[in-house]
Amino acid sequence: MKNILRYVIVRAALTLPMLFILLSVVFVVIRVMPGDPVSSMLGGHAPESVIEKKKEELGLNRPMIFQYVDYLWQICRLDLGESMILKQRVIDAIKLKIPATIELTFFGMLVTVLVGVSLGAYAADKRRSPQDYAIRIYGIVIYCIPVFWLGLMFQMIFGIWLDWMPIAGRTGARVFASTFEKTGFYVIDTILIRDFAALKDVLIHLVLPSVTLGLMLSGVFVRLTRANMLDVLKSDYILAAEARGIRHRRVVYKHAIMNAFVPILTMMGLQVALLMAGAVLTESTFSWPGMGRLLLERIYMRDYPTIQGVIVFFALIVALVSLVVDIVYALVDPRVRY
Amino acid sequence: MKKRWGIMALVIAAVMTASGACLAGGGPLVYGTTEKVIDMDPANAYDFHTWEIFYNIYQGLMGYPPGKTNLVPHLAESYTVSADGKTYTFKLRQGLTFSDGTPFDAHAVKWSIDRVMNLKGDPSWLVTDFVERVDVVDSATVNFVLQNPVAYFPSLVATVPYYPVNPNVYPADKIVRDPSELKGGKIVGLGPYEVASFKRDEEIILKPNPDYFGPAPKNEMVVIRYFADATTMRLALEKGELDFAFKSFNPSDIKDLEQSSKVKTIKGQGPYIRYICFQCKIEPFKDWELRQAVAASVDRKEIIRKVFLGQNAPLYSMVPMGMFAHTDNFKTVYGDGNLDFARRVLKAKGYSEDNKLKFEFWYTPSHYGDTEVDMAAVLKQQFERTGLIDVTVKSAEWATYRDNWANQLMPAFLLGWYPDYIDPDNYTSAFAGTAGSAGLGIHFSDPKWDAKFVEEQTVTDLDQRREIFETIQKWWAMDVPTCPIFQGTLYLFTQNNIEGVMISPTLQFNYRTIQRVQ
Repeated sequence: MKNILRYVIVRAALTLPMLFILLSVVFVVIRVMPGDPVSSMLGGHAPESVIEKKKEELGLNRPMIFQYVDYLWQICRLDLGESMILKQRVIDAIKLKIPATIELTFFGMLVTVLVGVSLGAYAADKRRSPQDYAIRIYGIVIYCIPVFWLGLMFQMIFGIWLDWMPIAGRTGARVFASTFEKTGFYVIDTILIRDFAALKDVLIHLVLPSVTLGLMLSGVFVRLTRANMLDVLKSDYILAAEARGIRHRRVVYKHAIMNAFVPILTMMGLQVALLMAGAVLTESTFSWPGMGRLLLERIYMRDYPTIQGVIVFFALIVALVSLVVDIVYALVDPRVRY
Repeated sequence: MKKRWGIMALVIAAVMTASGACLAGGGPLVYGTTEKVIDMDPANAYDFHTWEIFYNIYQGLMGYPPGKTNLVPHLAESYTVSADGKTYTFKLRQGLTFSDGTPFDAHAVKWSIDRVMNLKGDPSWLVTDFVERVDVVDSATVNFVLQNPVAYFPSLVATVPYYPVNPNVYPADKIVRDPSELKGGKIVGLGPYEVASFKRDEEIILKPNPDYFGPAPKNEMVVIRYFADATTMRLALEKGELDFAFKSFNPSDIKDLEQSSKVKTIKGQGPYIRYICFQCKIEPFKDWELRQAVAASVDRKEIIRKVFLGQNAPLYSMVPMGMFAHTDNFKTVYGDGNLDFARRVLKAKGYSEDNKLKFEFWYTPSHYGDTEVDMAAVLKQQFERTGLIDVTVKSAEWATYRDNWANQLMPAFLLGWYPDYIDPDNYTSAFAGTAGSAGLGIHFSDPKWDAKFVEEQTVTDLDQRREIFETIQKWWAMDVPTCPIFQGTLYLFTQNNIEGVMISPTLQFNYRTIQRVQ
């Protein structure tokens, strides 16, 4: 127990320098970017006096080092600051948008695992067959396809040509979230108030974005599952199970896959970062009102505190998930220790 | 006989009522846009989309009828101007109230203007630069006392910072970002709609305001849906998820949608103009004749065809088409791509193929959209077609661009303009008056011009103002402090069963006339 605790403390402590470096890099990069929040807000119109007053109000005319120190001090007090454009607390903006992103990434991960694991298992079972080669090619190709292009193609094919699916937003044009929203997780909210028509609408709107996001990562899981399954399928207990007459399908898709799943579980945690990155582009493509879209829009507006706050928040999520995965792994595998 | 006619009349009335019911309503209208809402407060909102929403939930003392550019009284019944031009007296409509029963009267008007002046929000200069104070004469009469005579003051009063708000709902000392910050949690103005629901970056739902004094909206609800990008919005329109969509489509999307039979295209003249600025204080464009030579070589139609796929209109004056007093002086004097004129002037100045006129031509790559780099490239080609000009194209992002013009580093550069108020003054004095011109990096200064601007700002007679602006435009084509290139065209797309959409160069897009028909 003491070992585990020491491991957790060391891992948590290592997260701090990572966050500090990330914060500093983000701070510098967004200020080096051309443009500033005042130009973004006021365009070319406002008189110089208004522009100067705005810059003073936002502290943008102070030396960079003072802005940096102020910012770090704010973060130490767990204050992500206030949007320069909207005067809204960054944490409030994040609270409004995070449920949409979590909902999307949850269902995206579901698609990733379902598609990636089942295809990977099938490829391992049909090793060196045309199906195996096709699935392996799929795994590489899907990983290389830009997620926004995939999203646009799905919109075109399933949304426009076939007219099967909606192409944007979390709800239909005639379904008003204000009538059922409580937690921000629309699937949960519609179930809570038993509005099954709205639930259906919400789930339909989740299909294309979560499939887009999920397929993007499924390539990784196809290859990982296939590799793990091939190892497991060579094991003695698998041979013994087949020798005992257990049906091949049951051996592969029940026994072998369960044993191959532990590393996949670890990988799921580690892919959260990629999922978040994919969410930025997916949310933009599908006009999904989550954190990714918030980040993109605030980058265009040069809203420094919101950009910094969202990136820090993303980093914290990734760090937390990695920490949890490492702890679970350490608990499960006694060979992993510090 | 009488009974038959009576029955027939009843039947006709019933049929008309039923068809009226079919024509109107038919569910909410869904409107898609890629624009954003910033602050839901007339004292601080300074972007066109938020103003567009305000045109539908508030009203001003003056305003524009849907689709028109003539200014008419709205919340005011009439106004008069004092002899010295410094006091505008507005007689207000009587009997109007906000939804909570607070009377709309001169006190509410004064309170609202004082609030704008105290809060000093982003667009407050539209009030504080002109208005000294507001006086209540009686409950139905209010005086605006100006710092100086301003002939276009009624146009200013039609802008959003002048809109009266409910003094019992809005805080006097705070800018409101979100309707939830208001007493009652809702925005209800004196306009045709009230905000039923507000989810930033997702949707805004507008329902008809039962207390609106004007004609009721022809629709039961408008849902504004926000899109992250134009392509997704276009796909949603084609799919039928949107009833209409406005701002901003890519030129290629506009071209495709114009050709589509699934949607209707509504085009209108926009108030947005693009032009070349010359730095008139440094070489080479200290010389007005060289400015003329460069202006003569501009071929507007080629730019519009190559860069904008034919989607804008060539502009031959800084005063846009559709605005009162507009004339086409640049067309009369130069036309398009007048290389003979340009070469004649340049040769007279001593330039030749071995001794070309050299200058840097600047643009800013993202502030005005992705087409900027192409426009600069085409203009370079046009200038160099004379054989006597050598152009180096340079660029800087917006913040640096502004610094460059303040530091007089750009001899010629591209700019764009959306108006703050609908009057030729906003398109002229800002560029060629001594003070305004310096602020925009042009540094054109001529006392004769300054006197003309003072005259047009103080004279209230429309015919006299028209004459003054016609003279200014004539001088503009001679002295060329800037060279107009094109005027933006507004594109709005609707489903085929949507009617009543009216857009105008004022950018006041009123939703109340829009309806879905069978």
